[in-house]
Amino acid sequence: MFKKLLTTLPLVAALAMPAAAQEFPDRALRIVHGFGPGGNADTVSRIMAEQMSKGLGQPVVVESRPGAGGTVASGYVSNEDPDGYTMQLMVGGHAVAAALYESLPYESVDGFTFISTLGQFPFMVATRAGEYDSIEALIAAAAAAPGTIKIGHSGVGSTQHLTGELLDLRTAADFLHIPYKGGAAASTALMGGEVDVVIDTGTVIRPQSEAGVYDILAITSAERWPDAPDVPTVSETVAEGFAVVSWTGIGMPAGVPDEIADRIRTEVHAALAAPNVNKMIASLGAKPSPSTGEEMTALIEGQISVWSEVIESAGIDKR
Amino acid sequence: MALTEKNQRPSKVARAVSGAVLLVAGLVISFFAWGYPTGSLNQMGPGFIPQTIGVLISLLAVAILIVDLGDPELERPGAIQLRSLCFVSAGIIIFAVLVDRAGLVPSMFLAVGVSMFADDQSKPLTVLIYSIIAAGLGWLLFLVGLELPIPAFWRW
Amino acid sequence: MLDQFILGLSVVMQPNVLVYAFFGVFLGQLIGVLPGVGAITAISLLLPVTFYLDATSSMILLAGIYYGSQYGGSIASILLNLPGTPSSVVTCLEGYPLAQSNRAGLALFVAAFSSFLGGMVGVAILVLAAIPMTVIALKFGAPEYAMLVIIGLLAASMIGAGSQIRSLAMVVLGIALGLVGADATTGYYRFVAMPELADGISLVSLAMGLFGVSEVIRHASRRPARGAPPLSVNMRDVIPTRAQAKSLIFPIMRGSSIGSFFGALPGTGAAIASFMAYALEKRFSRNPEKFGKGHLPGLAAPESANNAASQTGFIPTLTLGVPGDAVMALIIGALILNGIIPGPRLIVDQPELFWGVIASFFVGNIILLLINIPLIKIWVLLLRIPYQKLYPMILLMICVGVYSHRTSVTDVLLTLAFGVLGYLMKNYRFEPAPVLLGFVLGPLLEDNFRRTMLLYGGDFTIFGTRPISAILSICSVILIVWAIWSGLSQRRKTARDTMKRNTLTSPR
Repeated sequence: MFKKLLTTLPLVAALAMPAAAQEFPDRALRIVHGFGPGGNADTVSRIMAEQMSKGLGQPVVVESRPGAGGTVASGYVSNEDPDGYTMQLMVGGHAVAAALYESLPYESVDGFTFISTLGQFPFMVATRAGEYDSIEALIAAAAAAPGTIKIGHSGVGSTQHLTGELLDLRTAADFLHIPYKGGAAASTALMGGEVDVVIDTGTVIRPQSEAGVYDILAITSAERWPDAPDVPTVSETVAEGFAVVSWTGIGMPAGVPDEIADRIRTEVHAALAAPNVNKMIASLGAKPSPSTGEEMTALIEGQISVWSEVIESAGIDKR
Repeated sequence: MALTEKNQRPSKVARAVSGAVLLVAGLVISFFAWGYPTGSLNQMGPGFIPQTIGVLISLLAVAILIVDLGDPELERPGAIQLRSLCFVSAGIIIFAVLVDRAGLVPSMFLAVGVSMFADDQSKPLTVLIYSIIAAGLGWLLFLVGLELPIPAFWRW
Repeated sequence: MLDQFILGLSVVMQPNVLVYAFFGVFLGQLIGVLPGVGAITAISLLLPVTFYLDATSSMILLAGIYYGSQYGGSIASILLNLPGTPSSVVTCLEGYPLAQSNRAGLALFVAAFSSFLGGMVGVAILVLAAIPMTVIALKFGAPEYAMLVIIGLLAASMIGAGSQIRSLAMVVLGIALGLVGADATTGYYRFVAMPELADGISLVSLAMGLFGVSEVIRHASRRPARGAPPLSVNMRDVIPTRAQAKSLIFPIMRGSSIGSFFGALPGTGAAIASFMAYALEKRFSRNPEKFGKGHLPGLAAPESANNAASQTGFIPTLTLGVPGDAVMALIIGALILNGIIPGPRLIVDQPELFWGVIASFFVGNIILLLINIPLIKIWVLLLRIPYQKLYPMILLMICVGVYSHRTSVTDVLLTLAFGVLGYLMKNYRFEPAPVLLGFVLGPLLEDNFRRTMLLYGGDFTIFGTRPISAILSICSVILIVWAIWSGLSQRRKTARDTMKRNTLTSPR
């Protein structure tokens, strides 16, 4: 009997499928992301999945396909059917990868239908408390003694690394960039005195800044961050026009029909407005930022060109 | 052993296998490593350690070769169980090939089934029943219990 | 501190919190038993559940999974020579021979008890010395890590049972495997023959392949030579004798200390701690030749080490808000989502959470001991199942477990490759355990050494001028000298014995 059940189930499913193409969505959707379980990407994916499944009336599953900074997932999604059932949780690293990798198994911009950004968050420039009065003082010190002030970052080619290099590029400062395996390791190094500056997200910096161990000298977004109105931006102090935000967003394979893309976008925006989602995004230090597909495309393209410039001038090896 | 039969002692060639294979590994590693930038001892490039490792393995391989060849009483390596090797490998390969395409349950079913034939005393009926039970238990454990995000059947 | 611990206990001992403590450790134990499926999978799956719980219960639940898995991991290691977690690999070395000589019950008992004691030592350190440990841990920078790893590598070749040269070769091979992927210092891709290797070889693939699949290949068609397990297990056979128990005191003490230390040091953890404890136990032993044949101290030391490490692993998380490894990052994520910002203020702002969690470790370890001891009978009875019926399920669990890590088919195929490799290696008298150690330690050494050079402008003397690394350098020199000396004296001893034997036996 068990045997019969097991063999008839797939038959039933197979029979049911062709008849299904009536109402979108008629079966489970999925959100694929390129990072390990439990990271920011995974958490955001799961919360969005849960919320969106309510609006879509179908389950939304999360699939983790980590690898090569998220490019494995991007390559996978880009090649999937643009039938509207496959979404990808994309992050700022998508733009970085476009600039960093010599060749990718997908087109960074044209291979995708961008739906909307979910949240944007800035990086914070942190030092041990009391060591530098201001970001200007830090830059001045770094300019006066080239190669001695050390910035710890979360890995070669990471957005944090590139942000530090961009700071170097746009100011007179000349930092020594020390790679670590992840923001936590870099932060530990800052605490232990091994490096002098860390630029990273709120998740990494805030535990220490709230405890008074770190000073946040500046924030990398174009405008001051509502959560921290006293913290100046890099742009208004030492490098005009400096604007780095990392972001999360939803993308789909290229060629998704407009009606489906719009439907998904509506659901994404609705989910973003839900209080628990809002709270979650805020707790990760991000600002909920629903957008149009065009806005997201523009954001990504802009970032690709900035990162290309940084990688070029900092002499980072392309992969 | 008081007396060693001549045909129980491994030949020189047989004794050289360990060292030789390791030497090949060392040389292959060195081959690839030499393409990476070396740098210097205090400014190591990505190639420094790989090259050192390649050389080290090769040297150790030579040492093992010398020791093994100089020891006529060397133990024979264990016999290779081909049946085991083949069917276990086949089972895992089938799982790997099917899981993304056919879903978890068929992959489990076939992987278990095929690997059971490694046992030379297995009977087809036992294999079938066992595979079904294993697939069922696996489904319960991984999909119902742990809720792993793997589709059970195709895209279902 | 003790009254704060009592505060913590009062938080835990409420029925609704206790339930989560129990569930967490129970699930953790289960996860540990299953080869391939790791704590990270379980925790990430339970993460959404924690949204509906308060912060304290969430953390107690997730933490329970983390240290609970260290109890379960040893069970499959002992019974089947199949490590449930990478930190249980060393348990196979002594546990499995014990099982094969019909002393599985004893092995399981010693493992459980050592785990318990190790865990308790870890908890004690958390209660009494969390902040000082943090201060010490922060003093360990790149040079110190590098020296620590060198000591580890020197000890690593001691793990292998066979010839020293072959073990050394395996350590170096392990280092080579660890190099695959992106170089941490420059981002350069090394040995990346296919894009799936870009993130390196996964430890789980390597461990499950070398130890799991290879064992299955070995035994699938040939019944393992094993005495028939007893029909019923007498508790008296399971509990160690007085003499045996006495011989375990120091190994457990040493193991717990090593474990506590490595647990608190970010970037190192239970796996390294267990290897280190085993290697040092073998080094310090008066009868090193007994290792590998079912030597109880060789079982007790790593078991207490990995549990101590899994407890003190929470120190950086609780006192600094900095995760020591990927699993801790998950747990911190859960806290953040609950609105709690971990960090140096946690102990001040959220004393119920802080001490509640620590107290839950205390309670959790007791629960685990109470669960495990009666289970021994059942586990031993499991040995009655002919291997032929077990191995397909084992293979299945390895496949699914490995696949579920990175949703990667390549990982599964790599596991097979390592399985075949491990099988052939053992046939040719190469031990697999040193490979794992080299794999874990090699990249750690390279990263930290190159970072040291980067930080201090290529100045070698830094290893001698910084106080901690100077001490460690001296230790490693001592280790090298000792190894050479004992190797020489061993050779002299065997030469003397051979001469004695030759003069006693009549010439052929």
